[in-house]
Amino acid sequence: MKRPGTQLLFMLPAIVLFTLFLMIPMVGSFYFSLTNWDGLSPHVDYVGFQNYKTLLHDSEVWIALKNTFIFAALVTVLQNVLSLLLALLLDKAGWLVRFLRVVYLIPAMLSALAIGYVWTYFYNPVLGVINVMLDNIGLGAWAQDWLGDPKFSMYSVVFTNIWQWTGLSIIIYLAGLQAIPHDLYEAGDIDGARRLQRFRHITFPLIAPAFTVNILISIIGSLKVFDLIYVMTKGGPGTATESLAVLLYKKAFNFNEMGYGTAIAIVMFFVILAISVIQLRILRGREIEA
Amino acid sequence: MKATVGSRVFSNLVLAVWALIVLLPLYVLVMVSVKSPSELLDTSLKLPKAWMWSHFSDAWEKAHMGSAFGSSLLITATSLLGVVLASSLAAYPIARAKSKLTGFFFLYFISGIMIPFPLTMIPLYKLLKMFHLINTYPGVIFIYIAMTVPFSVFLYTGFLKGVPRELEESALIDGCGPFRSFLIIIFPLMKPVTASIIITNSLTIWNDFLVPLLFLQARERRTIPNAIFSFTGQYNSDWAMIFSAIVLGSLPLIVTFLLLQKQFIKGIVGGAVKG
Repeated sequence: MKRPGTQLLFMLPAIVLFTLFLMIPMVGSFYFSLTNWDGLSPHVDYVGFQNYKTLLHDSEVWIALKNTFIFAALVTVLQNVLSLLLALLLDKAGWLVRFLRVVYLIPAMLSALAIGYVWTYFYNPVLGVINVMLDNIGLGAWAQDWLGDPKFSMYSVVFTNIWQWTGLSIIIYLAGLQAIPHDLYEAGDIDGARRLQRFRHITFPLIAPAFTVNILISIIGSLKVFDLIYVMTKGGPGTATESLAVLLYKKAFNFNEMGYGTAIAIVMFFVILAISVIQLRILRGREIEA
Repeated sequence: MKATVGSRVFSNLVLAVWALIVLLPLYVLVMVSVKSPSELLDTSLKLPKAWMWSHFSDAWEKAHMGSAFGSSLLITATSLLGVVLASSLAAYPIARAKSKLTGFFFLYFISGIMIPFPLTMIPLYKLLKMFHLINTYPGVIFIYIAMTVPFSVFLYTGFLKGVPRELEESALIDGCGPFRSFLIIIFPLMKPVTASIIITNSLTIWNDFLVPLLFLQARERRTIPNAIFSFTGQYNSDWAMIFSAIVLGSLPLIVTFLLLQKQFIKGIVGGAVKG
């Protein structure tokens, strides 16, 4: 293990696969974003920063960027509020609590594709369970075309995403909650801490690591959302739910604008990188303080 | 602090409502898949009068689920084997031999965690074409391994750093080479991390839709999500058929999860919290 040769030998399989199928394509992206490659011709023309210039004035890119931010913000906030609340309620012993933890996690076992279809059916204006149920309880006037109406489509997709991943956030929060020593709560009780105070001053600071992980997972996951949107709305109606990843897929593989598509991918990469760095700064800072 | 009756009622109510929201779509998924076409028009949540179990065999055949199961199983298993071997081997010198070389490669691998797949997909398309790997199993398997190596190396390295060296050192004195001591001593020790990596990544790979959509279109090699996707294209709005195919495709993971819930939950938490 002292010899560099042996060390290299151990790392070799990982280095080869990682370099060939991740690093080279990533560097390749920077190159392709400066070309007008169409994906078919063997011929690739260098066009400088043309793609980036086009991109700045392409309203569809701006809309996709806005949609991606709205999707990520809604998912991150709502999913974390909901799963933290449920985790707090589940943080006790008993078979029912263990059973619910398992139930809540089932959607995370399904593919986004399967979930996309199930919820497309749920949101269907005629057959869909939601409208039928509203009708049955006399609220038929509230029935909507949940996916077909641009006023609601984004929220419908957001809710589906939350439905799938809340169980996962819950078990991560629970792991954090269960690591809190019990005597801390008892000390709080003696001091006469009320429920809300107890949460603010004991629970919340101590689950900071779980909080960081959950926020990061939901932000990064939702900034590159593809499957769910592609299956449910293909980005529509119009561009109402088009995320950056969906736009990039369409440009590259439906319209053969590979060069332009990679330029969008690069923008997406820097957006994710910037947001994660900022996130980590803020959240890790909070952890140390606590 | 004693919970008041009011707060206990509220707590149970919230838990029950979310359980209902989680279960209702799953219930509808199963019901629609066994209802006869005439009963489908009755949109109530009642159990069907006649259970059309034949939908499952129909969907199995028409969606080519048999070959899709084979493909998904082969791809998931081989990719997992690949990532476990490649990243545990790589983590060993990184955790044990501090040098410029291992330090550099640690950072090199870790930098991959931040790279989203869409950034690599277009050049990957060109690369796979060049190597004639489009529409082949090795193509997608290599991509999955490359995608999962960074975080796995990170997990293995973190774990190994917390393992005392005495065991291997005595093995070295006994004349064990580095490969043998890795195989006999280190690898078995890392079982919790290996379990974590297998569980989290089997979910991702088994359920992935985008990579096979791009690189594995040939009918006889389609994975389960992609078989369902193209089947849906043909049987547009034949919900009973589509949902039967979805039930069949989702069952293996759900059943495995229900049987091994403890290990699943531990594995997922282990994979996430270390990050």
